[in-house]
Amino acid sequence: MTDTASNTLALPIRPFLRPLLQRLAPFVGTPLNVALSLLLLWLILRVGWLLLDWAVVNAALLPAKPETCAATTGACWSFVIAKSGQILFGIYPPAERWRAGLVCVLILTTLVASARPSSWRPWLGFAWVAMMALVLWLMGGGFGLSRVPTSSWGGLPVTLILTVFAIGLGFPMAILLALGRRSGLPVVRTLSVLVIETIRGLPLLSLLFVASILLPLLLPEALLPDKFVRALLALTIFAAAYLAEVIRGGLQAIPSGQSEAAKALGLGYWNTQRLIILPQAIRIVIPALTNTIIVMIKNTSLVLVVGLFDLISSGKAALSDPDWPAPSTETFLFIGLIYFALAFSFARFADFLERSGMEKRG
Amino acid sequence: MLQDARFRAIAAQMLLTIGVVAIMFVLFTTTARNLELRGIPIGFGFLWKPANFQIAETILPYSSSDPNWWAAVVGLVNSLFVSVLVILLASMIGLFIGIGRLSQNPLLRGICRVWVEVARNTPLVVLLIFNYALWWEILPLASEAWRLAPGTHVSVRGLSMPALRWSESGVVPFVFLVASVACLIGAAYAANWRQSVTGRRPAYLAVAWPLVATGVALLLFMHRDAISIEMPEFRRANFAGGWSLTPELTTILIGLTFYTAGFIGEIVRGGILAVRKGQWEAATASGLTRAQTYRLVVVPLALRSIVPPLNSQYINVIKNSTLAIVVGYQDFMTVVSTMINKTSHAIEGVAMILGVFLLVNLALSALLNAYNRRIAIVEH
Repeated sequence: MTDTASNTLALPIRPFLRPLLQRLAPFVGTPLNVALSLLLLWLILRVGWLLLDWAVVNAALLPAKPETCAATTGACWSFVIAKSGQILFGIYPPAERWRAGLVCVLILTTLVASARPSSWRPWLGFAWVAMMALVLWLMGGGFGLSRVPTSSWGGLPVTLILTVFAIGLGFPMAILLALGRRSGLPVVRTLSVLVIETIRGLPLLSLLFVASILLPLLLPEALLPDKFVRALLALTIFAAAYLAEVIRGGLQAIPSGQSEAAKALGLGYWNTQRLIILPQAIRIVIPALTNTIIVMIKNTSLVLVVGLFDLISSGKAALSDPDWPAPSTETFLFIGLIYFALAFSFARFADFLERSGMEKRG
Repeated sequence: MLQDARFRAIAAQMLLTIGVVAIMFVLFTTTARNLELRGIPIGFGFLWKPANFQIAETILPYSSSDPNWWAAVVGLVNSLFVSVLVILLASMIGLFIGIGRLSQNPLLRGICRVWVEVARNTPLVVLLIFNYALWWEILPLASEAWRLAPGTHVSVRGLSMPALRWSESGVVPFVFLVASVACLIGAAYAANWRQSVTGRRPAYLAVAWPLVATGVALLLFMHRDAISIEMPEFRRANFAGGWSLTPELTTILIGLTFYTAGFIGEIVRGGILAVRKGQWEAATASGLTRAQTYRLVVVPLALRSIVPPLNSQYINVIKNSTLAIVVGYQDFMTVVSTMINKTSHAIEGVAMILGVFLLVNLALSALLNAYNRRIAIVEH
């Protein structure tokens, strides 16, 4: 009797309360957890309110004019809106910015397409060569487009070009270095180890210094490439050393039976590597390669130290406009968000591909 | 003869050697000609001439009339100071982030996740420049400095903290302190060894700890005049005395620590996740508390998968500390590049940079590898 009574009494509350309590459980398990939850909630609300107040409530948005910013105490987004072209494309001639924009789209599309397992075929290499040629033509001009020297390149295209060129040019070098490190010839092996370990032991900044300070002394003046190419050279060698270690990991994962079988079929060293070992090894390391691409996107930001106009330098240049109140926090936040969006979405995409690939396999 | 594998191997290697030597020779001769054309002398003699430039913030004493080699040493110590501090701070914070990402509390998990994602997906240069911009934007003037703790203030002029000062008679308790800590560590090792041999832990450690602690406390009390805490004081426009860090140093410390802690957090998380569930269950079944389970089972097991990637993170900290240049903190790289600009000894300067970083990184990785070998699984 009492059982039924209490049940009928509890009924109206239960279906409503239980899911709520279940939801709350991880926040309030133990007294310590309750205290932690309250503290963190207070912190989040406090910081969140400050941010909201600064970035939204009191922010200056439109019209994108200096007067809008002068009137508020919050963030000056008007500046970022007004200067977004200059920040994104640097000192590239404004009339030709569509070319720089197209370059960005082209590079990003290639990167996304290359990460998909269905495109890991030999033609991918040719696609990259075609993309790089197209990028050079669009960015540099010639053949019907007006010429733009590398000294006028700037902003996001520079970041992306340096990334894909360093990886695209570093990749063949990396394969040679990785094969060299596993070679039976002592001279080849020693040289490969020496190159890989020296580059990996040095900060990228010091390599950029070598390229910008030392190279002009090492090379005859006629052969000396411009500043952009020198920085790219440093980034390429850097990428090659790191990629070589990634590829070596893949090579080590291939059972020795594969090369023995190839030898038994009468294939020589280069044919064995090209037809049997490398296709399998590179397939294994693709997830690690996407990681290297993210690292390179981040690392290209160092070229600002040797005076190239990447995103940060063009942001700094935009900030020097005397008509505006120089809102550097907002500008660098905007630049940080661009990098974050690129790296984060690429990382998530790679994760997704890796997971879906694993499901298919297993 | 071309069909002979051994002949081809030798020929290929000889060709490669000749190629490398030829390239070196060409580079060497063009360099010599370039230097001659520009009238740049070569040699390390400049290192003994006065540096003639300022270093704003130094750990070692320095003035601009000191020789160039001393300036380089001062810069290197600045670099190592930043690296060591960042490694210590980031390891501690990273440990908490790694554990926090596995917490049951969604709020804590979320905050740690955001930290890790921001650190991993933003270039360090951008983080540093953003930090530096933020510093000047939000911090108050020195006269209205924020008080973080007694004697600790932060303002646009930097961070000032109380400093521990020792006078000469303070050496006695200091030496005693170091010696007694060393003895205790030795005793702990001896106790571990005895436990592994006899199965019983000797009791002397339980007595030794409080004894030594009392002794040190007594000595400190007797020499209390020799040791003092110097509080920074506000005078006119800024704080004086105590220990003060410039905005540049504080920015790079905060930025690099934030960045590295995110990476270490992921390493720690991976290491804890790599400990099998059976180990947790066995520990619980043996009656260990949660804290004991962590200390005696999970941490020793997790360390094995944490230490190798952690080692490369520590070496990354040393490499990343060179980015101090973007906020203008004068580390080794900045000092040497100033030297290059002033003396135009570019080849020697860059050689110094490359040599020193290779040496420091090789030494550190040898040290860390030795540690890794010690904790790695020993197969009997």
